[in-house]
Amino acid sequence: MVELTGAKALVESLRVEDVKHIFGLPGGAVLPLYDVLYDDPGIKHILVRHEQGAAHAADGYARASGKPGVCLTTSGPGATNLVTGILNAYMDSSPVVAMSGQVPSKLIGADAFQEADMLSVMLPIAKHNFIVRSVAEIPHIVKLAFKIATTGRQGPVHVDLPKDMQADKADVEIPARVEYVKPTVFELDLARVLEAVDLLAKAKRPLMYAGGGAISSSASAELVALAELLGAPVVTSLMGKGAIPEDHPLALGMIGMHGRMVANLAVTDCDVLLGVGVRFDDRATGDVKHFAPKAKIIHIDIDKVEIGKNVRVDVPILSDAKRALAAVLEGLRARAKRGRPSEWLTRIEKLSKELSPRMDYDEVPMKPQRVIKEIMSVLGGDAIVVTEVGQCQMWAAHYYVVKKPRHFISSGGLGTMGFGFPAAMGAKVARPECDVVDIAGDGSFLMNSQELATVVENEINVVVCILNNRFLGMVKQWQDLFYQKRRSAVDLGMVPDFVKLAEAYGAYGDRVTRPGEVAPKLREALRCGKPVVLDIPIDPDEHVLPMVPAGGRLDQMLT
Amino acid sequence: MKTRIFSVLCENSPGVMMRISRDFTRRQINIDSITVGIEPTGLARIILMFKADDHMAEHLHHVLSRLTQVVDAEVIDPEASIVREVALLRTKRLSDEKMWDVVRRIEKAGGRVLESRGNVLVAELSGVHEDIENVVKALGPDILQETARSGQVYLGRRTAKDR
Ligand SMILES: Cc1ncc(C[n+]2csc(CCOP(=O)(O)OP(=O)(O)O)c2C)c(N)n1
Repeated sequence: MVELTGAKALVESLRVEDVKHIFGLPGGAVLPLYDVLYDDPGIKHILVRHEQGAAHAADGYARASGKPGVCLTTSGPGATNLVTGILNAYMDSSPVVAMSGQVPSKLIGADAFQEADMLSVMLPIAKHNFIVRSVAEIPHIVKLAFKIATTGRQGPVHVDLPKDMQADKADVEIPARVEYVKPTVFELDLARVLEAVDLLAKAKRPLMYAGGGAISSSASAELVALAELLGAPVVTSLMGKGAIPEDHPLALGMIGMHGRMVANLAVTDCDVLLGVGVRFDDRATGDVKHFAPKAKIIHIDIDKVEIGKNVRVDVPILSDAKRALAAVLEGLRARAKRGRPSEWLTRIEKLSKELSPRMDYDEVPMKPQRVIKEIMSVLGGDAIVVTEVGQCQMWAAHYYVVKKPRHFISSGGLGTMGFGFPAAMGAKVARPECDVVDIAGDGSFLMNSQELATVVENEINVVVCILNNRFLGMVKQWQDLFYQKRRSAVDLGMVPDFVKLAEAYGAYGDRVTRPGEVAPKLREALRCGKPVVLDIPIDPDEHVLPMVPAGGRLDQMLT
Repeated sequence: MKTRIFSVLCENSPGVMMRISRDFTRRQINIDSITVGIEPTGLARIILMFKADDHMAEHLHHVLSRLTQVVDAEVIDPEASIVREVALLRTKRLSDEKMWDVVRRIEKAGGRVLESRGNVLVAELSGVHEDIENVVKALGPDILQETARSGQVYLGRRTAKDR
């Protein structure tokens, strides 16, 4: 037991959790805490320019590194600015620990200056949340917050810190014990595993479908080994991109609304579908009645809520993806040798060739496919690609070949414009040795472009490639396709000049207009030792195709 | 849609009730009754009664089980447990004749009169939800001034093995 202020106890507790970086922005209700951070040698605080940026940065940090990201704000408006970022992390199961100041305990409920009822606000959008009621419980709450964020199905946790709880002293114990944490590791149901093994061994057209859960449980090695053993092609969700190297001969790419056609056709045709850490989201499945209509479905997931929620499941396996896959592998290896489903593989291979997406366009203004192709030619497998939301995101998801898990970061469940740039910043802080590139739309980038100040000040050298169509492109696409081209409120006009915007912040800006120039300019950008914005004007009329209209069937794509 | 009863064992701390009830609100499920009691262990037991189809009931069961502060969520089978409800009824001012009629009906239903002042009765009824519902409906708003209902309380039946 030592006597400490709450603020000091909090920082000591963060140290126990191995926190090295905090993204935040101070205010009145967190002054005691910022006073402790002022000369703390072990924790680097990165001052953002908007708290939404802090939340997304912590999220990007977590996705790139697998370690929890941490953000910190003042009470009231600072705390409410976290809302979108926290929900974004929740929808994509990203481990974030967010903390906010709160008005002093005795003023809570009095509509005090900058009071927001964050316990209620965060309740439906975080995995869990706390308010500190005594200084002595701070180490305990911090421990629980990190434990909850990082175990089971991961997710964000918010801690509300009344100002007096930071300033007051108490005898505290660090590290504290954890009294009750919900069990998150389940007994693996071997009978179910063997049922799955049976189905897979007999399958004539097996298919694996990997999601974010395969990445967060680091199950890539098992996933690939199983695919190879079965001779099963692998498709992914948006969140699953990178779970299998996408240049692997069995990898077919993403499924869904803007998925690869071969991937969607494989889902429609397979006779056994093994879902691994996926939640069968409606953007991925299309019309569930026609999703994998010929298949028995095996579903491995760590969250019972997801099993059977959206699609019928024949064999549910409640487990961490890595452990379940390892067990299925064991089970299969114990069986007598079996042939590869060669007919199926030949068919898929043929389709794959026929449907391979075209990227070699030479037009000016450039086609986005061409831009992605050039970006890909420069970046190695170690680069982390982050995306904004809209057409830019779906072009990246459709065409970009991701080679490693945690190297493709995108806002999946919430589809948050403005996520990409601050998330790229967080990813770069977590993995400074990697090149980090944000594939952005002009609309999305403007939603958090103020973080240019943060990346310049902190020398966080990320590159933003704006696929600039001067439109809210994805909305325009829907209006073009489903609302008789009545382009309502989607024209962004010709402002700003993104090169000048970058320069105003002290970043490097450049414009790329011709095919063949993207690659050299990106190479230069990665070498220039500054954050970079590349403004790349593209054909404003280009649509993301093929496409499954909302609620349509995966095997009936618009082309 | 079938009536469901969930028994949720959870931490006894502020916000738990809100976390649980909002999972219903969000899915547009109306909670018909909700009771809270503290167990000898210090944990709280919340008993909820609501109507939902099978798919939704199962989904809600998983959703509640997932909550950090929930230790255990059980689906109660009314057949295999003792489920009771207590109701307090206050009548309007009644004629002598009406009053004695009500007394007879309450007693016949196994209830008892707790108080009577100036031809206003206060009575207590306990039993299964449907029986109480029937009495309250039969008396109706012409007779009843107000009612207070406990919601569902239950104990699991002991199995042979427990004894
Ligand atoms: C915060 C937020 N607001 C609105 C939307 C709806 N929306 C989805 S895509 C999109 C257009 C995105 O435009 P831009 O960033 O320029 O990318 P583009 O589609 O043109 O590539 C909009 C407005 C959203 N996803 N997020």
